[in-house]
Amino acid sequence: MLKLEDINFSYEKQKILHKINFHLKENEFIGIIGPNGSGKSTLLKNISKLLSPDSGYIYLDKGLLNEYSYKELARKMAVVPQDTEINFNFSVYDLVMMGRNPYQDRWGRVTETDKNKVEEALELTDTKKFKDKSIQKLSGGERQRVIIARAIVQEPELLLLDEPTASLDINYQRNIFDLISDLNDELEMSVLAVSHDLNLISQYCERLILLSNGNIHTMGKVEEVITKENISEVYNTEVDIKYNPMTERPYVIIVPRKKNSQKRRENNFKVHLICGGGTGKDIMNILNDLNIKVSCGVLNRGDSDWEEAKRLNYEVVEIPPFAPIDENAVEKNKKRIGNSDLIIVSNTPFGWGNIDNIEVLTSLEKKDILFMTKQDVKVRDFTEGKTTELFEKIKKNNNVHEINNNKELCSFINNNYKEILYD
Amino acid sequence: METKFSYFYTTMIIIAVLILVGIISLSFGSVNLSPFQVLKIIFSNNNINESLNIIIKQIRLPRIILSFLVGSGLSMAGVVFQGVIRNPMVDPYIVGISAGAGTGVTLAIVLNLQFSFLFFNTLPLMAFIGSLITVYIVYNLAKTKNKVPVVTFLLAGVAVGFVLNALMSFLMVIGTRDLQKIIYWLLGSLAAASWHDIKLMLPYFILGNFIIIFFLKDLNLILLGETHAQHLGVNVEKSKKYLIIGASLITASVVSVSGSIGFIGLIVPHIARLLVGPDHKKLYPTAAILGGIFLIISDDLARIVLSPMEIPVGIITALTGGPYFIYLLRKTKKEIW
Repeated sequence: MLKLEDINFSYEKQKILHKINFHLKENEFIGIIGPNGSGKSTLLKNISKLLSPDSGYIYLDKGLLNEYSYKELARKMAVVPQDTEINFNFSVYDLVMMGRNPYQDRWGRVTETDKNKVEEALELTDTKKFKDKSIQKLSGGERQRVIIARAIVQEPELLLLDEPTASLDINYQRNIFDLISDLNDELEMSVLAVSHDLNLISQYCERLILLSNGNIHTMGKVEEVITKENISEVYNTEVDIKYNPMTERPYVIIVPRKKNSQKRRENNFKVHLICGGGTGKDIMNILNDLNIKVSCGVLNRGDSDWEEAKRLNYEVVEIPPFAPIDENAVEKNKKRIGNSDLIIVSNTPFGWGNIDNIEVLTSLEKKDILFMTKQDVKVRDFTEGKTTELFEKIKKNNNVHEINNNKELCSFINNNYKEILYD
Repeated sequence: METKFSYFYTTMIIIAVLILVGIISLSFGSVNLSPFQVLKIIFSNNNINESLNIIIKQIRLPRIILSFLVGSGLSMAGVVFQGVIRNPMVDPYIVGISAGAGTGVTLAIVLNLQFSFLFFNTLPLMAFIGSLITVYIVYNLAKTKNKVPVVTFLLAGVAVGFVLNALMSFLMVIGTRDLQKIIYWLLGSLAAASWHDIKLMLPYFILGNFIIIFFLKDLNLILLGETHAQHLGVNVEKSKKYLIIGASLITASVVSVSGSIGFIGLIVPHIARLLVGPDHKKLYPTAAILGGIFLIISDDLARIVLSPMEIPVGIITALTGGPYFIYLLRKTKKEIW
């Protein structure tokens, strides 16, 4: 669809783009990211023929970009620019109709096809309700949708977007990107979008190009590009990478300088976590962020907590799916518990199948134990009161703290183990 | 569009107003006639009164037709310049194009270059060359990094206008034998309007219009911004070039017969935009008719105010246009500075 070969570009002797090479396949969705001044917008302007490269070739389909007339180009490629503010009082309908310009003759006669295409685009972008309104009276998000509608009626094969959600609220951000994603899926448009919002674009595109000082730093699948090393290096800032379990895409979080100055230290602090059924996931992530070694058990294979623990490379005492805890597992678990500095019991229900995970704690003395008690243990006790009894016994012999939520958990650990965890 | 009336009714109404204003204007002057008498004289061949026939057909009618052409020409040029520069503060007078055309005409008179070839007279041709050179200079002076900011465009226009006015004065001084002719022309008056003037300017006027109408659709897209226009398939540089040439042709044709009459090209497009919105397919003809009406009325006032003495019509348009320009400046101050 679009192929760039050795594109170089400079503004008055200052080199902006160096040897850019990439290939956008048909129906692909590529995102371009990079810090301010890395050349993202300049690259897009070269592709949309607003600027022409000093050297190198840009191919659109089989032809060279330069050989397309403006009109031919407008039928193949539509651009949604960064600045969509319009200072003249055109109605939404008229503005969208302007997208039919490349199909109209000199005198701008409007055909039935033109009208139908405009109606379709208004519906697709949900802008029909204000088609007679002046474009100046719309909000930023509404205006952006109108501009996208105008791009749709151009019936392009390739859609270029320059920061399509800059300065929009998150509801509009999602709305716009969902729409772009639909155009990519349903109308089979190829999409090339520039965005400085790493997290937003990473949730939608198939491949990413990371630009740094006019060079392609990394190009590839989202998870290959959004890595701690790449982002920290290119953006020159400390970040952490998390995974969005719903889209299975990575996202970047910023580590504020204040927290950053309290450097997390390599430590030997060990926590054993008793959990199950997904009640331990958040706890694992918090502990992971604090660089704490964690063991879990006993967990059934396939349990969502087991999956998360495996993903984080934790030691897990495991048993087959749906099997009750056996002697062997109890012994192993006991060993892990004995080695740990802190034991956390998640807000999981207890039945005859997993009561051994609690029973094992009754033999302990003067250990630090945290009970996550978002729900009272009586509610979670499916062993006719036995679990509640065991809880009382454990409380008598050990330093037990009851914790209500994740925030309390964070502050408890930060307050009590500060010396061990931080420099 | 959020205008109060539909385009069709608006057009019908202003055409009716034009006809009415035309007939009324024909009926008064040194000899006052009723509108019915006027109509009778125009539409009958065997006339009752030979002198009345001459007053109406040879003096008043060409003057009113020329007023209409000049008024509409300046308004059309104003619409085009405002669209290309994307700012409502521009008109051929303010950006020095009228002065450029004037210099061309002065040069033609001083150098005695006035002759005709087919339908094309050299006087408007020199005006056209003068205005084109001026536009080129002003545009390039104002251009900074591929953009033409309004402030620099206005400043460049005013500066170049000054230089050209000085040049005109200089030409008048050295060409003393033509002084009266030039000054008379410069005052911006329609008092000497004749059928000859109309013949002189019409070919350029029509040619300019042809060019503009051919590129009128692009003007709507350019209004959105040049990058928008290009993305929608417009060859922006080419369209802009031809639009400016067309507007300069019209300006030149008008200036060569009427001298420089200011501010019409500023006010009229604005009023027309309020009536029919920014779509040039509607705006252009509406501004043309409104401009014609505006100048016919202004010329009537020029005849009446100090009657029997006439004042140059440029004074009337400047008196109404100047304050309007100041109002626009204040209104858009924030956006400009």
